[in-house]
Amino acid sequence: MEVLLPLLAAVLVATGVFLVLTRAMIRLIIGLSLIAYGANLSILLAGGAALRTPPLLNLDGPYVDPLPQALILTAIVIGFGTTSLLLVLAVRAFGATGTDHVQELLEKPDPVLRQRIYADPERPSVSPETQDAPRAQGPL
Amino acid sequence: MLVFTVFTPFVVALFAPLLTRPLGARAGWPLALAFAPSLALVALIPAARSGMPATNSVAWVPGIDLSLAFRADGFSLLFALLVAVIGVLVMIYASAYLGPGERHGRFYSYLLLFGGAMLGFVLSDNLIAMFAFWELTSIASFLLIGFWDERRAAQDGAMKALLITAAGGLALLAAVILLSLAGGSVNLSQLDFAAVREGPLFVPTLALLLLAALTKSAQVPFHLWLPTAMEAPTPISAFLHSATMVKAGIVLLAKFAPLFVLSAWSDGLLYLGLLTMFWGAYSAFKQDDLKALLAYSTVSQLGILTALYGAGYPFAATAHLVNHAAFKAALFLVVGIIDHETGSRSVRELSGLGRKLPLTFAVTVPAALSMAGLPPFGGFISKELFYEAMLRAGTLPIVIAVVGSVMTFAYSLKFLGVFIGPYRCLRPHVHEAPVWMLLPPALLTVLVTLFGTVPWDATLATPMVALAAPALGFDAEALYLWHGLTPALMWSFVTWGVGVLLYAMREPFVNMQRALTPVWNANSLYYAAVAGMERLARLVTLNTQNAPFAAQLRILWGPVALAGIVFGFQALGAYLPTGLTPPPLEFLAAALLVLAGCYGVLVAKTRLSALIFTGLAGLSLVALFVMLRAPDLALTQLLIETVTVILFLSVFRYLPPLTRYRREARTVLLDALLAGSVGLAVFSALLAVQTPVAARIQDFFLERSKTEGGGYNVVNVILVDFRGYDTLGEITVLAIVGMSVYALLKIKTTPVKGEEHGDG
Repeated sequence: MEVLLPLLAAVLVATGVFLVLTRAMIRLIIGLSLIAYGANLSILLAGGAALRTPPLLNLDGPYVDPLPQALILTAIVIGFGTTSLLLVLAVRAFGATGTDHVQELLEKPDPVLRQRIYADPERPSVSPETQDAPRAQGPL
Repeated sequence: MLVFTVFTPFVVALFAPLLTRPLGARAGWPLALAFAPSLALVALIPAARSGMPATNSVAWVPGIDLSLAFRADGFSLLFALLVAVIGVLVMIYASAYLGPGERHGRFYSYLLLFGGAMLGFVLSDNLIAMFAFWELTSIASFLLIGFWDERRAAQDGAMKALLITAAGGLALLAAVILLSLAGGSVNLSQLDFAAVREGPLFVPTLALLLLAALTKSAQVPFHLWLPTAMEAPTPISAFLHSATMVKAGIVLLAKFAPLFVLSAWSDGLLYLGLLTMFWGAYSAFKQDDLKALLAYSTVSQLGILTALYGAGYPFAATAHLVNHAAFKAALFLVVGIIDHETGSRSVRELSGLGRKLPLTFAVTVPAALSMAGLPPFGGFISKELFYEAMLRAGTLPIVIAVVGSVMTFAYSLKFLGVFIGPYRCLRPHVHEAPVWMLLPPALLTVLVTLFGTVPWDATLATPMVALAAPALGFDAEALYLWHGLTPALMWSFVTWGVGVLLYAMREPFVNMQRALTPVWNANSLYYAAVAGMERLARLVTLNTQNAPFAAQLRILWGPVALAGIVFGFQALGAYLPTGLTPPPLEFLAAALLVLAGCYGVLVAKTRLSALIFTGLAGLSLVALFVMLRAPDLALTQLLIETVTVILFLSVFRYLPPLTRYRREARTVLLDALLAGSVGLAVFSALLAVQTPVAARIQDFFLERSKTEGGGYNVVNVILVDFRGYDTLGEITVLAIVGMSVYALLKIKTTPVKGEEHGDG
């Protein structure tokens, strides 16, 4: 019990990290979801996973710590927001570039789009010159 | 009263543009009234003299002992009055100086911002508030130096001043924190100096404090920001960069003198001040630009003040502080007149101006001779006191002082030189400045002259300097023009003699100076440092921010993974519970399902199977939440899980099949290792926190949920009541996400091709 649940959180996070590193958009989104699962579980465990009464005051105590639960509740909802935004972004990016490779999204698109992302097509770098460049617009 | 005094300029600064729009530069007149409350501080003089200074305090953040506590002791009062008087004069001067095309609103706003900050700084008793006002003066200075922001030199000067003085400001913040910890109070008047001196962190405290003072007051090697600050409009230079702000560091030295006087630090300050005095005077002499000459002269005079306060001669120092503020402000204003009327500030282009500008000349002579240290002007009195102090300090100090003063004498003559000799000026029709430009320097000149001619007078010089006596803890002596044939006077004769000689030989001497000037100086060091920082920043950015996506993630997660490897096994040994209880069966089952989900996602061949396995992990987590007594979490997770699956399914037809990008076996292995190590870090961290390190705050919520939140479900009450703002933030984020999703979906799906890229 004391080892099993931390182990579970660790496996969730590790799997998520590995998936994100595979660079395919869908796997990346799923990976982030798994990391979020692991993180939520971690918060709950950090609050002490005692097997007491749920924090509902019409039941008899002693109760479990209600604070981590409140924090996780927020985190779950935010996590959903992130996932949905990423999904829509993936759809748009795939529609515009024809790839779901997160790196190629930036490097492969046609010269016009590339021009819009980087001021200098030969040097896609964060340099002072690019700061003044017009921002990329449209389906990115 | 004091709070009102300090904040009036700030408030008026907000409304300055309202007045400048109809009145233009003339708005300086009504706006100068912002300093009226500070001039009224005169009423507090008797209290300060009796040693029971007026105080006034408003709580700011009571929880951390932060209050706007002001205290008008004699020294602070003297300086505040100086700020107010010169402030008013500069405002009046500016009303005639500024052309119609300038941005008057900004000018006066910044000026008043500075005035308020300076008053706040000198009158503050609370150390934190003092630091805040100190920083405000730096910021106001930055804005004012860069007032003509289209000029390259102004940008450079403003940046340099800000970088150097703000660095000093950070040092001051650290020093103030250390001081209040060691001294037992955040209020200067209650600070236990003895305890600070004996504290274990005394040396860093004092070093930080001195760093702040020396950067602000432009002591070698931090002096380089002051000459370039002369890009500010001249009234600003007169106010900030000669009379008041640059003396903030000196004020700091004076107020904290009990920390270092009569120690080795004192000697250090003495010689640093003298070095600055010498170097400033030496550099001033070779300048052709009158304003640059005065700038270096200010550096030099600040050196004198540092030496005097540093070595423990507050009487002489205070006398010179007042004198210098008056004559230097007057001279700067005169340079403004010359610049305004002739269009030039160069000694090479100007000569014999006394004929065309007799009134200006009359105003200049006493001020310049006071700077030179000639009787019967104020500068003579304080220079005598300086010499006496240096004679007491030793042989080397007096020699440096005399050498520096010789050059001071010579550059003062050089300044006067533009008024005498044959008339030469590039502009054809030169005439006197408007009366409102002449009057402010004239008043200051009168002050300087009175200081010198009747120093013993019971209404002027002697009581003025004596005002600071109780606060700085020195015995005020009466000031006299004639001290008898003292050694100091003998040295003065030497100074004048050699000074005249040096002035006569100025051409060869300046040529020699030019020949001796090395190609590098403190400035090149500064530029090299700035360029180095920029290079470093670019290097770091290019190597971390511009990497391919996966590599960037590896950089981010690398440290976590490293921590997992380094501390993980150690934590396993330390925190692994000894009496392991076998987990209940249902936990085991749910855990196995989560693991199966993870494994399934990793090996999934299609999008659908990947999604199903994710759902499996998520739903098993729901079960775990139920078992861990978190019904709300279980419900929310279940709902979100369902919606997520629907969302995925609905967009799948717009997405490619699950592609596996080929990676080298080595990369896969490395990534797996990285992921595993991150997992190990999470695992060991969770083991470590199972032993509580602090008292839990759950009781707070459990007790108050019913009584104050009116709900039985504590989790819900926390969300909507105790942490309501958190939830508000969450809802806001969701709303933004919702709008973004909607906007992204609304964009037409035409791929970006050729000419259509305009609006995408």
